[in-house]
Amino acid sequence: MQMQAETNLMSDADMAEEIVIETQDVNVFYGDNHALRGVSLDIPKHQVMALIGPSGCGKSTYLRCLNRMNDTVEGCRVVGKILLDGIDIYGPQVDEVLLRARVGMVFQKPNPFPKSIYDNVAYGPRIHGLAANKDELDEIVLSSLEKAGLLKEVQDRLHSSGTGLSGGQQQRLCIARALAVRPEIILMDEPCSALDPIATAKVEELIDELKENYTIIIVTHSMQQAARVSQRTAFFHLGEIVETGPTEQIFTSPIDERTQGYITGRFG
Amino acid sequence: MSSGHIVKSFDEELARVQNAIVEMGGIAETQLEAAVRSLAERNTELALKTIEGDKAVDALEHRIDDMAIKMLALRSPVADDLRIVISGLKIASLLERVADYAANISKRVIALNSAPAIAPISSIPRMGELVRRMIADTLTAYSNADAALAYDVWARDQEVDQLYNSMFRELLTFMMEDPRSITSCTHLIFMAKNIERIGDHMTNIAEIIIYQVTGDMPKEPRPKGDKTSVTMIDPKEG
Repeated sequence: MQMQAETNLMSDADMAEEIVIETQDVNVFYGDNHALRGVSLDIPKHQVMALIGPSGCGKSTYLRCLNRMNDTVEGCRVVGKILLDGIDIYGPQVDEVLLRARVGMVFQKPNPFPKSIYDNVAYGPRIHGLAANKDELDEIVLSSLEKAGLLKEVQDRLHSSGTGLSGGQQQRLCIARALAVRPEIILMDEPCSALDPIATAKVEELIDELKENYTIIIVTHSMQQAARVSQRTAFFHLGEIVETGPTEQIFTSPIDERTQGYITGRFG
Repeated sequence: MSSGHIVKSFDEELARVQNAIVEMGGIAETQLEAAVRSLAERNTELALKTIEGDKAVDALEHRIDDMAIKMLALRSPVADDLRIVISGLKIASLLERVADYAANISKRVIALNSAPAIAPISSIPRMGELVRRMIADTLTAYSNADAALAYDVWARDQEVDQLYNSMFRELLTFMMEDPRSITSCTHLIFMAKNIERIGDHMTNIAEIIIYQVTGDMPKEPRPKGDKTSVTMIDPKEG
């Protein structure tokens, strides 16, 4: 196994950064399949971390470890430590439903519930009892739609179906739904792969705004998207992290030949 | 990276930029050699030919610019590919200047040839040869992606500067002794300055090659030896 490359372009801002998620030597098995091999990665707070790599490299598996989505996969075993604010999320005291509220997720295909726009966003706060009354719930729904950059487009039809929106609007609705339960971290698994360039640009602009208050980890197959939206990039290959560092460094002077080969389109 | 891109036409486009740089550098080297030879031989015809030759270099610079801009727009190159494209743009611009300096030397040769030979030109062919070898080695370093050779060229510029310093003093002294030589000597100083500048440009190109190959610029400060801008010669000493 080659050593993982860590680049050394540390600016003052980097030095001061706070780590929100620490992963230490994480291994994931699906039955006999060793899908993730000794992955250690620190996720800095209020930044966008992009995970890139060819299909099957383990980046989505890694993402799904961070809110224990892999618990729902039969035969899946996670070994190693994943600390969220210093607490092991696989520890016995951790309630995975509460964990998933703190660590929200947005998927590749927009998946609004077959309910109204309002109810899509209100769903999480209702379950978690985040609002004491109707006014508070209204406030959460409207502010979440506002943060997701969707409010202006839907404020006169909050009670029409969420599935009637365009693909890009549906994806921003899903982001609003994730924001409504007041997460600290948002996981995004190829959030723009089903969107046209304009809708993609809106989601990317949103990601840029959201990083002021949230930590975002995004899996993407688009090199340009990783380069545009993230401050740090991690390159996965065959279940390992090959290289991680400031995005600018990864895309101008990657250290590892495999990173270079992948991002320049020399192997797939 | 030894292996090629999955999209082969991308490799071909990168190779075309690199070949054009080598071609352009080869012409620039020949231009400098011809300019210096036209001085030594007092050959006005060769000087005129050299001035005319500058057009080919200008045309190549435009071609490289076009290719690089197209690749930036259509291929979104990253990592070493990006470094090749950006380096290509910068090197082409520097080589164009190198050829301009050679053409300027040739123009001054024509002016000098209209008067009787008077001033010593001995150091100019030596400087010219030193710098011509810097160009040749720079192009080899570029073709072979050889950062060590680029470092070697980078450090060598000081020899040129020292030669230029001594020539500058020599010509000043010469002018003091014989004011009739001032016009010719001034042309010679400008020629020497042009050659010294070409050496500086090779230092720049060597830095770009080091960046292209390694992803880093040289850490040490650039070696500088040109002291003519602070040189004063007392006429009583001369």
